[in-house]
Amino acid sequence: MIEQNLPSEQSLISLKSLRLPANYGATFGVKKLLTNVAVGKPKKAIFFRTHKSIDMVFPGMLLEQKESHESYLVVPIVAQEISELVRPVQLHAAIDRQNNVFLIPVPLPGESGTRNPWHESLAQAVEHAKIKWIRITANMHIGGYDIYEAEGVLPEPDWPDTDIETLVEVAFRGKIISALDHPVVQSLLGRL
Amino acid sequence: MIASDFPEGIYLVDFEFHPAKGKEGNPPVPVCMVVRRWPNGETSKYWQDELLTMRSSPFPIGEKALFVAFYASAELDCFQTLGWKYPVNVLDLFVEFRCNTNGIKLTHGNSLLGALLYFGLPNIGGEQKDEMRDLVLTRGPWTKHDKAAIIDYCESDVVALSWLLNVMEKHIDLPRSLLRGRYMKAVSRIQMNGVPIDENFYVALLNQWNQIQDLLIAEIDQDYGVYEGRTFKATSWEAYLISNEIPWPRLESGRLDLRDDTFRAMARMHQKVAPIRELRSSLSEMRLANLNVGDDSRNRCLLSPFRARTGRNQPSNSKFIFGPSVWLRGLIKPKEGMGLAYIDWSQQEFGIAAALSEDPAMMQAYRSGDPYLAFAIQSGAAPATATKHTHESVREQFKACVLAVQYGMGETSLAGRINQPLARARQLLELHRQTYRKFWDWSDAAVDEAVLGGRLWASFGWQIFTEEGLNDRSIRNFPMQANGAEMLRIACILMTEADIQICAPVHDALLIEAPLEELEESIKKSQRLMQEASRIVLDGFELNSDVKKICFPDRYMDKRGAVMWKKVMNLIVDDASATCLEV
Repeated sequence: MIEQNLPSEQSLISLKSLRLPANYGATFGVKKLLTNVAVGKPKKAIFFRTHKSIDMVFPGMLLEQKESHESYLVVPIVAQEISELVRPVQLHAAIDRQNNVFLIPVPLPGESGTRNPWHESLAQAVEHAKIKWIRITANMHIGGYDIYEAEGVLPEPDWPDTDIETLVEVAFRGKIISALDHPVVQSLLGRL
Repeated sequence: MIASDFPEGIYLVDFEFHPAKGKEGNPPVPVCMVVRRWPNGETSKYWQDELLTMRSSPFPIGEKALFVAFYASAELDCFQTLGWKYPVNVLDLFVEFRCNTNGIKLTHGNSLLGALLYFGLPNIGGEQKDEMRDLVLTRGPWTKHDKAAIIDYCESDVVALSWLLNVMEKHIDLPRSLLRGRYMKAVSRIQMNGVPIDENFYVALLNQWNQIQDLLIAEIDQDYGVYEGRTFKATSWEAYLISNEIPWPRLESGRLDLRDDTFRAMARMHQKVAPIRELRSSLSEMRLANLNVGDDSRNRCLLSPFRARTGRNQPSNSKFIFGPSVWLRGLIKPKEGMGLAYIDWSQQEFGIAAALSEDPAMMQAYRSGDPYLAFAIQSGAAPATATKHTHESVREQFKACVLAVQYGMGETSLAGRINQPLARARQLLELHRQTYRKFWDWSDAAVDEAVLGGRLWASFGWQIFTEEGLNDRSIRNFPMQANGAEMLRIACILMTEADIQICAPVHDALLIEAPLEELEESIKKSQRLMQEASRIVLDGFELNSDVKKICFPDRYMDKRGAVMWKKVMNLIVDDASATCLEV
């Protein structure tokens, strides 16, 4: 009874053949450009992850200007000349829940092989963030960071298809010191 | 070239007609018909008496011929009155004109005159058109001179149609145009069928409405004191809000925002507001006498297909039983021995968004049967074992969030809707973006397409041009609404062709009718075809449907209007029993 007057398979196939795909944007190939990559420790309310791959870590020499909250990447040859002003770090690719990518600089141990407790604690957090969503807050009493793990089952981060070199390039656009005559260096050396 | 597709000819057709006995809601009575073959212009004219003797259309209507009209459902209604078979192929130039100009500001509208002016074609003046229409509506008897004038006027429309086809031919995407034409046949069947109305109650209500309005005000307003006669006083309302500590949105001017949308939203948050909102809406929206009810107690009106930008039907709010206040739907009642069923796709817009964006998490949520709870679970806000009962309030918030995304609501509106702090609304919207990333990429791509390409389309070719500035919210909502409309059209086609009696399409639902002994069978068949329609539009993804059954002597009742219905029924002097079935 229910089969009566139902459309034939053939008529349904011909109907389906008229269907247009909803592939909006396909012909325009619109792609979100990575135009801004922040450098620094994540704010205390931000849950973040760090990239698991060793290829997403960039060793570099950083010159930090506390007053202006700016970080400069210094090329090795210049860094040798102003070693007292720069510090060796590893820049770890990180991402927050809103898919914003940023770089966390983790200072390397000094010549003695030890790190100050803050740096050690940050390194531990960065390791932890490779497998869990965490946020960190400074704990002045213990001289390190408290780590808070997200309790919910959150989805894995959706990393952009960008290598670490590109992230560094975007992060330090206009902030790479490649010669001693750079105004920031000149200023720090008291020559300006 | 269309002509080569139809070796038996292309026929441009126009009828003049008036509603039987001059009463809106009655089927049309054809007065004359003019048929013009395209492109050679061979013309045949038929007066009423001749038409009534014909057992079928006097021109070919089979597979190899094409029937062309402007707003074809009206012509097809006349076919049905005359007992003629519908043409196999229908091309509606109104629909094609709408499809090709949707979103573009038209100086002269989208009537036949408007279309002619749009293309710079000659046309008959609007005044003359009105005069001739009035002459037809007199229902005769017409003098010989009148008859000649009416038939000449009818001919002028098919001549105009031929000019229009000349210029529109190159814009016509034939297979999809014919599919839209096929829908116009379904529309004609549905319009002619109409919705059964409880005549006794309707007449009693109509006769006593003036008095009932005053009684309703007296009854409901006793708790508020905001009416003076039939006038709602904003100052008294403000005083009520202050004394009841209800914060109320204001307009930029500083005055209270008294729009119905605001009342509706506030009624959700503050139960005290609900009765006064329902009263205001009943008094302002309801013009009972405008409801088109025919002599056979059926509500019939133009469904106005393709009128909305999304391609959805847009019947007159005052003429269509599903238009006025929801409580009035209690007038819908099957005749003795008959039953009705209200069948709607479950969470249609969510399902469409999931399928078209191909977001796996969203598709999984839809298939779970409860996408709102699934969203809460997927985003980590509820455990996998959560149920509707164990996590009712969480589910409600996530449901509101899903609906907010569908309607393009911002965090402030969502916060108001769920009566939660702004931070919670922001968090929910963020969770939606994080959980359904693929959907959001697709939605962003729709915005790119609209901005860069100037056009968006649905699965079967309904489109909108976006150059004239469509806001972000409308752009993102268009694919869901327009594909929902495509789905409804295909369901109407499949169902009417399978001899299911559809009384009315209502957004994402269909009201069907059948003798009680066949009702179950009709429901099963309808659900199967509605599922098929979803598969066709969504490339294999199935949407389920829900059913509300109404068997004589019960009446249809929307639960949102049940209280008001009972209030009104208590005020009707002739105390007929108002047994309501809450559906």
